[in-house]
Formats: sequence, C-alpha cells, structure tokens
Amino acid sequence: MKVLVKVIGPLIYKTGFSEKDLDLPPRTTVAELVTIIGIPADRPRITTRNGKAVLPEDEIEEGDKIAVSPIYSGG
Amino acid sequence: MNGWTGNILRVNLSAKSFKKETFTEEFAQKWVGGRGFAVKTLYDELKPGIDPLGPENKLIVALGPISGIPAPNTGKAVVAAKSPLTGFYGDGNLGTRAAEHLRKAGYDMLIVEGAADRPTMLYIEDDKVEFIPADEVWGKGTFACNEWIYAKYGKGVGVLNIGQGGENLNRVAVIRSLEGRAGGRPGIGAVMGSKKLKAIVVKGTRPIPQADPAGMKAAGFGDLRKVGQIDKETGWSIQSTTGVLPFCNEVGGLPVRNFRKTHHPLAWQVDGERCNNARIATYGCPTCTMRCGVTVRDAEGHESELDYENVALLGPNLEIFDIPQMASLNYLCDDYGLDTMSTGCILSFYADAIDHGAVAGDFKFGDAERAKELLRMAAHREGKIGNLLAEGSLRMAREFGHGSEAYAMQVKGLEVAAYNCKFIPGQALAFGVAAIGAHHREAWIITFEIRNTTRESYGPEKAAKVIELQRIRGGLFEFIVSCRFPWIENGWPLENYPKYFNLATGLNWGLEDMWTVADRIYSMIKLHFLREFPKASREDDYPPRVWFDPANADTEGPIAGKVLELDKYDGLLQHYYDQRGYDRRGIPTKATLLSLGLQAEAAAVEPYATLSD
Ligand code: SF4
Repeated sequence: MKVLVKVIGPLIYKTGFSEKDLDLPPRTTVAELVTIIGIPADRPRITTRNGKAVLPEDEIEEGDKIAVSPIYSGG
Repeated sequence: MNGWTGNILRVNLSAKSFKKETFTEEFAQKWVGGRGFAVKTLYDELKPGIDPLGPENKLIVALGPISGIPAPNTGKAVVAAKSPLTGFYGDGNLGTRAAEHLRKAGYDMLIVEGAADRPTMLYIEDDKVEFIPADEVWGKGTFACNEWIYAKYGKGVGVLNIGQGGENLNRVAVIRSLEGRAGGRPGIGAVMGSKKLKAIVVKGTRPIPQADPAGMKAAGFGDLRKVGQIDKETGWSIQSTTGVLPFCNEVGGLPVRNFRKTHHPLAWQVDGERCNNARIATYGCPTCTMRCGVTVRDAEGHESELDYENVALLGPNLEIFDIPQMASLNYLCDDYGLDTMSTGCILSFYADAIDHGAVAGDFKFGDAERAKELLRMAAHREGKIGNLLAEGSLRMAREFGHGSEAYAMQVKGLEVAAYNCKFIPGQALAFGVAAIGAHHREAWIITFEIRNTTRESYGPEKAAKVIELQRIRGGLFEFIVSCRFPWIENGWPLENYPKYFNLATGLNWGLEDMWTVADRIYSMIKLHFLREFPKASREDDYPPRVWFDPANADTEGPIAGKVLELDKYDGLLQHYYDQRGYDRRGIPTKATLLSLGLQAEAAAVEPYATLSD
C-alpha cells in the first residue's frame, strides 16, 4: 500500500529524507514504519496521520499521510 | 549572602545620579531574582496610573542567583517596566553578556529612573557609573550602535541597546543585545527610548559570591559539556526552533494570513530544513553549548538570525514563503529594535483589516517590499500610517472599528506568538492566561494536547498542564534566570536547577520551593493588572474572538469545520482559576495571597480595587 511519509525537524538527519512516498506491506503499524525509516525505536516522537496523533500500535492504511516529529516544546 | 551580591544599582537619569543599595536575605529568598525582583520592585515603586512612557516609569534589568556563573545556559537577563503596550507589568528575557558583567560589577539588579534630557549611554564599570552623550548614534539602528560601542570598549563588554523603534516610542520596541538577541516584547525598548537611553554598557571585574565555588565550577562546566553532547545526539540545534514549523503546518497550528488559515502548501519553503540549508552562521547567548541562532542572508545581503516565531509570523502569516524576503523583515525588526512577533501580527492585522474593508490601504498579504516600507515607517512613526502601526494591533483595531478587534491577534494588548489556536483549546488557554499577554514563553502544551489528551477536550488536565508549565517556564527559568531550552528541547533534567541554585546560595531548596516562588510571582503580576485595571474581568483572559467564529473555520485539512467553543473555553478557564485559587475575575483570592505571604501586597491593592475572600 502507498503512503506519504513526512519527517520533521532533526529526525530527517536520521532518515535521510523529509518527504517520501513509501510502498508498505498491508497492516504495517506506526511503530514498524518508524523503524523501517531508520528512527531509533526509543527516540521520543509524535506521529500523526492526516494531522491527528496516532499510537505506535495503530495500523497504517492505504493513502495515509504520516508525519513523524520530535516532541517539540514550542520555543 | 551567598549566591546574591546583595546589591542594587539605582540610577537616576534626570539627576545624573546613582547609588548602590542593598537588599535583605528575606527579599532574596522571597523573590529570588529576575522576574521576581522586577515584579516586586515595580509593584512597590510605581504609582498606579503613571504614564509608561513618562519619567515616572522605571526600567529594570534583573539577574538571578546563577546569572554570570558558567552553567547551562545562564547568559540571560530579565528586562521589565510598566508596559506601554499593555498598561501593566511587562517583561522579557534576552541573551546578553550584560548578565555576567552586571553580576561581576557587583549587582543583582539595575533600576533606571527618570529621563535624560539628551541621548545618553550609561556606562557601568564596577562601582563607576558614567552618563555618556549618545547623540552620535541616536537615530541609528542597533547594529551600528553595537559597532560604536565595541569600537569604544571592545567586544567583550555587556550591551543592551535600542534602535529607532525604541527611540520613537513604538509600543512593540524591544531591547537588543549581541547579534540577534532581543527581549521585552511589551514595549520595554520604548520605555528605554522614553528615557533617552540609547544603550547600557557594563563591565564587571569582580568574583560573584557563591557558597560552593568549587562544586559549582565542577557541576557547571561538566553540565555544559553534557548538554552539548545531548544536543549533538538529538540534533535539536541543527534546525533549532525553526524545526517546529512543519509540525505546526501538519496539525493545523501554523499562523497563515493573519491566523485565518492554519496550514499552507508552500510552508515547506521556509521550514527548518530550508532555513538550515540557507545558514551562513550560527549565533547564540553566552554560556550556551546548544546555540540556536540559525543565521541566513536576507534579500539585501545582511545577516539575519532566525527562530521559529519570526519565521512563522513574518513569513507564512504574511503569506511570504521566501527565506531571504522573510529574513529581510526579521533583520529590519532587529536593526530597528522591534519585536518580530508583534510586528508580524501588526502587519498581518493591517492587511486583514484592509482586506475586510475596515480601513482603506494598499498593503496586501505577500507584498514583502511594501512590508519593509511599512516596517520602516512604524519604527520612525512616519506619517499617519507609521504612527498607527507603532501603536500595536489592539489600539489599531479600536481606531479602525468595524468589528476588527475580533481579528486583532492579541491578548491584553500583547500580540499572540506563532501558534494558531483556532482549534487547540489548551494552548488558547495558555495564551489567555499568560501573565503579561499572549506570550508563548510561559506554557506551550500543543504536543501534550495532541498526543496525551484529546484535542477536543476542555478538561481540567489541560489547565493543570498550563499551570505546571507556567511554574517552570514563566517561574523557575525567569527568576533563577536561565534559558529553558536545555530542559524543554533536549530533556536536561529539571532537578539540575535547584542543584545549581543550592551550590550558589548554600540553601537546600527543592523544586517545590521553586513552585511557591513561581506562584507568588504570578499572583503579583495579577495584582499589578488589577491595580491598573480595577474593572478586570475573566474576559481579559479570552483569546482573540476570531478563534471562536464558525465562519472562520478551515474548509479543508486536519481541523476542517472546527473552531474553539466559547462556553467550553470559559469552563476551561474556570478550571484554571479553581486550580490556581483565583476568583471568577481571574484574580487571586485573599486566601491565596495569604498562603503566598503577600498580605502587604494585597493591602496595597485595596485602595484601588476589591479582593475576594
Ligand atoms: S539555546 Fe538559544 S536561547 Fe538558549 S541560551 Fe542557547 S542560544 Fe540562547
């Protein structure tokens, strides 16, 4: 299934990209995606699907726009 | 007294006189420093109703017990006065070598009174104070003023100065230092200008009294190294605060077009990745191992030091998606000594008011060249438009009428920082109850709201989070006086700060003691507000009304169709008041004031306004 993955802030220096279309196996979870793109599992982060927060165990669906961001604290 | 020098330098510009005063240990422990010293002093010494731009106002530079001591990130000073923008206590903090130098000169606080009869620079070197004519640099920008000072005294001195904005009493003028540091959003630079004080230069040469200098040295230097290492691992300072822009864009929290929109397809053009790619230099405050000043070249070739707030408010909020052009506006704000955030909101409000027919004019969103021109006019109060823009968005809205106050993006007169809370209730509360007006410095809970609670919630957990962060960010870091970024962005443990405090003072305080001081300071700022505005009401803690307007809802994107709900917001506000021990107006009750040891301060408000039991 095709998903658009956006990586935010300094996490892009871990993944090597800030935006990419990925082809993932069906039922991939958020946690699996984060590992696939090279972000250490213990790295604090917030992941959103179409602008809304998702949990690590949530499954990704075809056409989702997933954004992975560090936990910012707003300057 | 260890930790504190125990001295205040009081300078009177009218009389060209100065004296060194002492303060008691009780004062030190009750107010600690920085914001605490400033709020107490201004409350005691300013009569309610004075003109903030008259000689009766006082300008304060206040330090904390770890200022000037090498430890993570202590190179900051608090500047404060009665605000000409909001009409009550206003302050800010900025990175400056003046923090270390003032402490080494032997002072924890500088109070500047009166007004000079001609442009003046104050030069302080230990016990010596000189009043130096500054006519040569009056009318010049902060960068030229810095060069003039450095040519006289060398680059190592501490400098606080103003640009044309402060000189011309622009109500959002700030105080500036170093390459891109600025503080005092609610017009504290205009207070300095009203005193014809172009610059304060400080050189201190003496040791700072500390209870355990060896322990402090080991902890301070060791921790500076550790914070630097953590930052290398997280990579935070590569993009620094500019990295948050795509997050805000993603979740519908970016200010676009005077906050009308919450995201934009072109926002990536000014995001942290592009700002970092355009970087030509990095600047920062003294005593910092995670320097965050991403510096780029602007459209005219100047160096311009960026952070998220100025990128968002001078970029997308004006529908400018070009780094050099946005950086030009930022450079001009820095050179004129204007607050980048308020200026972004003022320009966007002006364009929006024209757009909505509230006023006639020729400024449109996206017009960077006209924005530069307007900025110059505002800094110099040139003509009718320059004078109007120099007043801030609330006063402009009152002049325009036609319901424009609803979309003047401010709370209590201070413009909103760069987070669009059209549908972020807890952060809207954080702006509503920020002590000095809509500042982001005191509480930022957007990630918490989106990740740990439901965004739709107006529950007490959000009020509790705002209070928790106010105690840390608006309290601890503002009275101990150090930069909050090691903790907030790189996870440097909070427990380190009582450790530094105890090594400096010889006391044995924990975080709970810090929260008491923080609550005391918040109550004091509220008393200031009440004394200046005896008709204070809970509506003063409401955010801009446009965030509640269904007609303003996004038509697409993550928060399509959603806006804040007024009755629910009011309920959230009540949670905040209940947890704080404030009455229905948002004013601390007598019982709350008593529990914080503020009996005398409560009595001082009673000739002007009533307090609830
Ligand atoms: S992190 Fe940034 S604001 Fe904080 S002390 Fe360092 S340079 Fe200054």
